[in-house]
Amino acid sequence: MAYITNYQYYTNSGTVPQNANWGEYQYVSLKDIVNNFMLMYVGDDKLVNNVTRYNVLFHAKRGIQEINYDALRNIKVLQQSVGDDLRFVLPPDYVNYVRISVEKDGILFPLHENSQINYATEYLKDNNGNLLFDQNGEVLEEELSQLDRDRLAGLPKQQFLDSGLRYGQWGWCVDGSWYFSYGIGGYYGLDTSKANVNDSFRINKQSGVINFSSGVNAQSIVLEYVSDGMENGDDDSVTINKLAEDYIYSYVRWAILDNKIDTQEYVVRRAKKEKMAKLRNAKIRLSNMHSGRLLMTLRGRDKWIK
Amino acid sequence: MINEVRNTVMAILNKDNNGYVTPEEFNLFAKQAQLELFEEYFYDYKNALNLQNKRLSNSGYADIPKQLAEVIDLFTKKSTGLTYVGGTTSFTLPTDWYTLNVVYYNTTTEVERVNQNKINQLVMSNITAPTTTYPAYYLTGASNSTPTPTSPGNSIIVYPSTIINNIDVLYVRYPSDPKWTYNTVSGSPVFNQSAADYQDFELPLSDQDTLVFKILEYAGVNIREAAVTAFASQEEAINDQKET
Repeated sequence: MAYITNYQYYTNSGTVPQNANWGEYQYVSLKDIVNNFMLMYVGDDKLVNNVTRYNVLFHAKRGIQEINYDALRNIKVLQQSVGDDLRFVLPPDYVNYVRISVEKDGILFPLHENSQINYATEYLKDNNGNLLFDQNGEVLEEELSQLDRDRLAGLPKQQFLDSGLRYGQWGWCVDGSWYFSYGIGGYYGLDTSKANVNDSFRINKQSGVINFSSGVNAQSIVLEYVSDGMENGDDDSVTINKLAEDYIYSYVRWAILDNKIDTQEYVVRRAKKEKMAKLRNAKIRLSNMHSGRLLMTLRGRDKWIK
Repeated sequence: MINEVRNTVMAILNKDNNGYVTPEEFNLFAKQAQLELFEEYFYDYKNALNLQNKRLSNSGYADIPKQLAEVIDLFTKKSTGLTYVGGTTSFTLPTDWYTLNVVYYNTTTEVERVNQNKINQLVMSNITAPTTTYPAYYLTGASNSTPTPTSPGNSIIVYPSTIINNIDVLYVRYPSDPKWTYNTVSGSPVFNQSAADYQDFELPLSDQDTLVFKILEYAGVNIREAAVTAFASQEEAINDQKET
């Protein structure tokens, strides 16, 4: 893309949205990547020749996806309230979550993923326990499984959370007397992976939703997630940070050479090495290490630990 | 150039009274010879590139691929705003195209050629489906508006199908048919350059000798004079050898 004037940068030439160009210099567009590659890396006197643009486009997009997972960590944030169904539909460009939190008074309380909050499909049965089918022979399903109904009803409670089974605490009833772990010592046998006062969730990838425990009803959920950088298929919006631009060229070149017939193995290996080296470079550059911030962190060494 | 070529051909043919070629026959041979040479340029260009990739080519005046490309460039032509035929959702190509160089959408966006057997896979692909930023086309047969095409495929179908205008094409055209025009004076044809249908050869002057040899080959076959054909073939072979 051609360089733009300061006026275009700050005001988008006076058109709305005026902030359209802010910060755009950090990025190079997919269109430029493909164009530059076709111009500089493809030719009769180059390693890559006779390659179609859609081939380059495919590998460029794949490269951008890969580096989005590996190094870019361009985290997107989405906030939504959760209703009675205790469900949060995943955004269309969701690939994986980074953190899921409840927002209360501007503070984020991270939730933990609990594999014990499960989900299931339940088939409908008649009074005799026989499965019910529709006219096409497909088995009929309950709208909600027993697991879902239990979860929506607030069961099961988490272990060692603020609301327990007796007197607000988890305990054991022996011969009519209740024993609580606090009274007799430590939390022996505590499953630390689930020991959290905040609520929990489980992602149902197949249904594309996050199911929450009942405590988040009517709460505001903040989902931090990574995408693949494909911007919902809008090619014009796909960009990559300039610090990773060289990696994308190397990735595309390697991917094409790797698939091309009669390419010498040493050429493929060379391209692969170069791709890996550029990925490491990109990761270091994008890790965003600043000496000032490092200094701030290291100051913690002088803290007294009680 | 055409008159010099004809004079040379006639001079060689008339030696030893080998025979005579009429202006109409000459024009037919001239067209054939020019087409043959025109096509050879593309193969020569390919061979020159192969040599270049083997580091057997040089720069400056010895840059043969560049010189060959310059000749081919003489035949490039741009046709803007191709006609869209709604019935077949295709764009009609110009009738004189030899090979398509680049197809553009909205003046600058390149439309990529895709083989017919790949287009459906491309359209169905989530990641590479043609868009207005990366459009694609495939070559197809005659559209409804041109039932008698001069080329096997004379229209293109562009994807995405929302593109129905602003398609331009940069292509290499066929050379125009050469025509030695004349007036008959005292029963003999006399060259007339100012005739409306006069058309000179479009190849560079450096091809004059090759054109003469090629026309002589055809003329030799025509007048059943093996010596003429043999002479022309031999000269052409020597010429080719020098150029490689």
